[in-house]
Amino acid sequence: MIDFGRVQKELQECSKDSQASGIKVSPKADNLARLVGTIPGPIGTPYEGGTFQIDITLPDAYPFQPPKMQFATKVWHPNISSQSGAICLDILKDQWSPALTLKTALLSIQALLSAPEPDDPQDAVVAQQYLKDYQTFVGTARYWTETFAKTSALGVEEKVQRLVEMGFLESLVRSTLDAVGGDENLALEKLCSA
Amino acid sequence: MAEEESSAQKMEEFRSVAIEDDESEQISESFICRVCLDLLYKPVVLACGHISCFWCVHRSMSSVSETKCALCRQPYLHFPSICPLLHFLLLKMYPDSYRRREIQTLEEEKKMETFSPQFDALAWRPGDEEQQKLSHSSQSHMTCSGPNSSMDTGSFRNGEPNATKVQSEPVEGIDSYGPSSPKQDLKLEHDITVQEENAHPVGSDQSCKKITASDVLCTECKKLLFRPVSLNCGHVYCESCIVYPADEKLTCQVCKSRHPGGLPKVCLELDHFLEQRFPKEYALRRLAARPRLTISENDSQKSLGNSRADKELKNSSRSIDTSMTHLGVGCDYCGMYPIIGDRYQCQDCVEKIGFDLCGDCYNSHCKLPGRFNQQHRPEHKFRPKKPLYMQNYMLRLVTGQLDDGSTALVLPNEGSEDGVSPTAPTSLSDVQEDAENGLSINFVFEDEPDSEHQNNSQSNSN
Repeated sequence: MIDFGRVQKELQECSKDSQASGIKVSPKADNLARLVGTIPGPIGTPYEGGTFQIDITLPDAYPFQPPKMQFATKVWHPNISSQSGAICLDILKDQWSPALTLKTALLSIQALLSAPEPDDPQDAVVAQQYLKDYQTFVGTARYWTETFAKTSALGVEEKVQRLVEMGFLESLVRSTLDAVGGDENLALEKLCSA
Repeated sequence: MAEEESSAQKMEEFRSVAIEDDESEQISESFICRVCLDLLYKPVVLACGHISCFWCVHRSMSSVSETKCALCRQPYLHFPSICPLLHFLLLKMYPDSYRRREIQTLEEEKKMETFSPQFDALAWRPGDEEQQKLSHSSQSHMTCSGPNSSMDTGSFRNGEPNATKVQSEPVEGIDSYGPSSPKQDLKLEHDITVQEENAHPVGSDQSCKKITASDVLCTECKKLLFRPVSLNCGHVYCESCIVYPADEKLTCQVCKSRHPGGLPKVCLELDHFLEQRFPKEYALRRLAARPRLTISENDSQKSLGNSRADKELKNSSRSIDTSMTHLGVGCDYCGMYPIIGDRYQCQDCVEKIGFDLCGDCYNSHCKLPGRFNQQHRPEHKFRPKKPLYMQNYMLRLVTGQLDDGSTALVLPNEGSEDGVSPTAPTSLSDVQEDAENGLSINFVFEDEPDSEHQNNSQSNSN
């Protein structure tokens, strides 16, 4: 049983100082087990100016088990899969503690963006590039930020809603949006050609 | 049925009222549980000095090995008893919120059919008679867990034996809570209340006004707690009042139960609260404590205690041996969870959670009640239990302990007790099918599995 009372308190806490931290958490539907977190790219990194969305799924034993977090926005980073958005971060695995919250976890992810750890990579290709050709890495990361983390000024939910209104199935819309990294126009093209 | 409905309605009303009231009660940050982010309910103080709710600690604890504190990651193996001092302090300070938490928790407990210990307010005598009158309101709050309340009559109807009130905590030491010399204490308390009123003429919120220094006295010196530490049994002492006996084992002076590990760390949240709440008395205590510290060689004692604690911790982490671990079974006296080593199971307790003892507690004949309100009686019979190897393996699989990487399945040469044969091919193939992520199972015929090695392989695969 998820402790929904605690989740609700966390959301309240988070919305209180979201102005200062830039970190937002909102439920995907009325079910509190699936949420979306938003973090701004840290200043002074190739991710600056981008807004990154993170899919959060709470396991049944939350907060005694870590929340499942995954980037919904495509991101070029040694510890984040460029394909799936999977995050390699110890506090989301064996170092989780029930005293941590969704907000502190998102803050840690934001810190991970500032301080990659290429020696413990999630995406080997990115990590190799980071270690061998740092300039290209910065270029690619910046390009990905420009392409994927800035176009999504509108939330995924709004995109989904608009595409659903055009007459596509919601599940199909979601999977297509996921596949193209959240780009609404690309998703529409793909949906029309399908 | 109708009655049940009406009681459910009542509960709803209670809750909505309670939540409204809740907003009027400004709960100090010190008393917010960092796990459930709500007011602490039935607070437990860990050896590292951090406080959490009874259920929050229990749910945090790993059923397979020692657990790390949610806040400081200090490992612990023992589930401490609820701290009655903090329990009654919070009940007095935030009666409405505490009651809301009580209702909420009892509801969850009914679903789980496992109950946390109930406190009898009469067993708790923080001060003198006057104090008793003052705390009368809090008593009436506590009796709602007795058989008269609507909620508990409900559970009686369902035939649950657990919900009856147990005189929990110090059965032997009830009287020790009372002042040793009532007149002296009466005087002391008057002094303190007067001082306190002077210190806080106006300003502090109403609920806090009810608190006097007599609510937070040391079990040993009966003065305001200074640098409080809570033992595994839940009794609170000043750090300087803890006497480290020559025979190595730290024992509570009230309930005579042994404290596992070395000297616990100061409960800083409570310490800060006391310093803010009773600045004058606290300053006096500090002045008084300082010379004592130097005279009584307390520092050397402390360091001795800490080094012992470290040693025991190291030993315990080294001695975690899956072949002797009783997964998911805790000792009802000392709170060791999981039990490592000998285990004795009560054959007469009918509660779902059962009643078990570790080898040490079985041999020392402690008289404390069970951790989950079991109706255990001294005449009940025990029988020794061996760890169930196959169950161990399955349990670890289910709880996700084997999610990553390969692991060693240890099959002992002697057959397990409950007729599970060491080689049970059908269930194993099921296991393999169920296991995702290409989990590979190695069969290792060893007497001493290296649990550290397993941990390493897990962390490496991350």
